[in-house]
Amino acid sequence: MKKLFTALLILVGLTTYGQTTINPDTVCVNAVGEQYFVTNTVGSTYQWTITGGGGTLQTGQGTNSITVDWGGVGGLYPNAVEVIETNATNCPGAPVLLDVFVLNLSGNGIGPFCPGDPTTPLVGTPAGGTWSGTGVVANTFQPSTGVGNYVLTYTMAGCSTTINVVVNNGPVTGPIQHY
Amino acid sequence: MRKLLTILLIFFTTTTYSQCVSNQSFTLTPPGPYQPGDVVIVDYTLGAFNGININWIHAFQINLGVGWTNLVPLLTPGNPIGSTGNWLWDVQHTYPGGFNFGPGWRFENAGTAGWGTSSNGPFTMRFRVTVGQTCTQDDLSISMEVFDDCTTGGWANGNCCNDPAFQIYNGIVQVVTPTTSNINHY
Repeated sequence: MKKLFTALLILVGLTTYGQTTINPDTVCVNAVGEQYFVTNTVGSTYQWTITGGGGTLQTGQGTNSITVDWGGVGGLYPNAVEVIETNATNCPGAPVLLDVFVLNLSGNGIGPFCPGDPTTPLVGTPAGGTWSGTGVVANTFQPSTGVGNYVLTYTMAGCSTTINVVVNNGPVTGPIQHY
Repeated sequence: MRKLLTILLIFFTTTTYSQCVSNQSFTLTPPGPYQPGDVVIVDYTLGAFNGININWIHAFQINLGVGWTNLVPLLTPGNPIGSTGNWLWDVQHTYPGGFNFGPGWRFENAGTAGWGTSSNGPFTMRFRVTVGQTCTQDDLSISMEVFDDCTTGGWANGNCCNDPAFQIYNGIVQVVTPTTSNINHY
């Protein structure tokens, strides 16, 4: 009961007053329909501006909540999201800003492999993410997994990218003959 | 010699610093401070007007700071035991001597123009003002000025010329600017 009460308290606190988004915010490259919001005040209007990152405001201009589509160029975009609130007496508030990091993930091309090849490190850019998929152990690929085509996924901050890895059959050499 | 000195002193004091208005009071509804859009009712009473040397009262001028708008008269002053005539509401009026008056009420004597009224009061009046829509801390002062023959030029004998404006309110607009929360991203 005590835990439930605490959880509810935190939820209400975050919903009403708290900022759950850490500055800079992170979005995936080419993300669509990303929703941004501030706490609504009755009678106020909100002027949003999206700058950099290939971002375009899609819906919600004038309200406390908008959606944004982001572009295809990764990088850190300072003050990419700005909102100015104007209250019922037509007085504007101070601009509120949010930096946005558009995350463009990529992985190193590896292979093709033969089943006997050694374990190969998987390198994702930027570093710090996690690799997953068949044959992946601790961010390395093990060709000994066997012959096949594998799709490996690099994940970071809710974004992901994939690479294809091929393990071919090794040559099957017959016995040595003596003419 | 001593008596003469005393008489001269009294005369000097009377002519230089005499004030013909007394017992002024007011009510502000609601009381300040005020925000944009607030509507305020002002009740003002001049308890007595002592027109030294037959200085008759002519006008009540309302002085408003720039933060006020929409001045509306609600109650015209009375004219107890006064001359025949009426108090007129005027936004602006120029007296024959060139004195510019307004806004406020001025007495139009039905018998002799420019004489004001012989009434000694009391005079009670009411008006309404509204705080303008602004985002700056504009002046919201309110004061009343009483003008008589001395000011309007109807009877220039030097008395009643030093009645200061009566301060009713002295404040500024309480500007409310929004405090926006941080931007959140779902």
